Amino acid sequence: MAKPTDQNDIHERGEVIAPETSGELTHELTLYAEPVAHVGNFPITNAMVTSFAAVIIIALIAVVLRMRLREIPRGIQNFFEAMLEGALNLCDQVTNNRRISLKVFPLALSVFLFILVNNWLGLLPLGGIGVIENGDHGPAFVPFLRSGTADINTTIALAIMAVVAANIFGILSIGIWKTFNKYVNVKALGGIFVRLQKDPTVLVVAPVTFFVGLLELIGEFAKVASLSFRLFGNIFAGEVLLLAMSAIFAYALPIPFIFLEIFVGLIQALIFSILVLVYFTIAASDHDEHENHEDKKTIHV
Amino acid sequence: MESIISTFHIDWKIIVAQAINFAIVFGVLYFLALKPLQKLMEERSERIARGVDDAKRNAALLESSEKEYQEALTKARAEAQAIFQEGKNEAETKRAEILEKTHLEVEVMIANGKKTLEDEKVKIVEEAKNEIATLAIEATKKILIADADQIEKIK
Repeated sequence: MAKPTDQNDIHERGEVIAPETSGELTHELTLYAEPVAHVGNFPITNAMVTSFAAVIIIALIAVVLRMRLREIPRGIQNFFEAMLEGALNLCDQVTNNRRISLKVFPLALSVFLFILVNNWLGLLPLGGIGVIENGDHGPAFVPFLRSGTADINTTIALAIMAVVAANIFGILSIGIWKTFNKYVNVKALGGIFVRLQKDPTVLVVAPVTFFVGLLELIGEFAKVASLSFRLFGNIFAGEVLLLAMSAIFAYALPIPFIFLEIFVGLIQALIFSILVLVYFTIAASDHDEHENHEDKKTIHV
Repeated sequence: MESIISTFHIDWKIIVAQAINFAIVFGVLYFLALKPLQKLMEERSERIARGVDDAKRNAALLESSEKEYQEALTKARAEAQAIFQEGKNEAETKRAEILEKTHLEVEVMIANGKKTLEDEKVKIVEEAKNEIATLAIEATKKILIADADQIEKIK
């Protein structure tokens, strides 16, 4: 295990350096995942190694669960059934619709487990296992395990998949025309000619609605950015925090922060998956129906 | 944008690789764990719901059967009571009839006995009379013979 000193240094590029020995071998915690091997041109980063491990762990759990499925649940099946029920109820609270919950739930649970296992694997005290590579400041120690979600590539991949899947789900739920009109509100512009005589304010409202649609389109890209950077920022900050605590007082001081990071890992996985649920629910909701409903309510009042 | 990509080492190849990783997790979880588990839970829920319905139906059935049983029991008791009462009445009537008949028979028998006794008595008295008469005749005869002998002897 590397013995950190209090001579840590935070460089301009956001690298936290904990010198392993008297200035020769350094342990750099970089903003990006470091390659530990190459397959042709393809770099295998330490975050990918963790992700592979996460995939294997989840697959093993799934296989064991499948093999032990019984009519009368016992052991691991009891735990998963309780978790499934609880998670489905939580989904219902977000979607307010059991049908949507049942459709989105598998994806949301997969996202949750994948992120959770990745987050927690990064906390394993196996930082001493790795390779020594030539870094920016001389020979640097690169650990094999780095939380998969502490690499922006992983979080971007998850965020893109979530946003794209939400839009596909929206198209399947309310149709391609209504989904298209959410972003490029042609219908609102067309409404100018239809409703102008009845309601002259449409001249102002329709362009605003069209512009709001465009904002929604930009919002989809913002969703990818916010999802990916939130998760990456939190997990990477946790790793920096642990490294800093190790540098201040090795072994003892990081322990409470490891518990904190376990909690943060759980919360972040939960936030990501709940946001995925929210995006799916929004994508499946029909704005027109909602507006019509509001109009009816107003008329009724 | 360029600086963000270079600072964070954003690499589309790694993004694709991580997306594939997640797709594997989703596939494995969905097909090996979630789908069978949900199916099993749904089947169990249906079975439990069916069981509860059956139990409710059985309870209702049991209640109605209990009611029917009680009604049948009450009816049977009433019928049994009626039959018993009828039987008892019949038995009473029969008993009275038999007693009456027996009384009559006994009376007839007593009357017959008395008559037989009377007849026997008359017969015995008659016979006794006959005997006495016979004896008297014989005695008279013997006396007369003896008297005749004595007269002869005296002669």
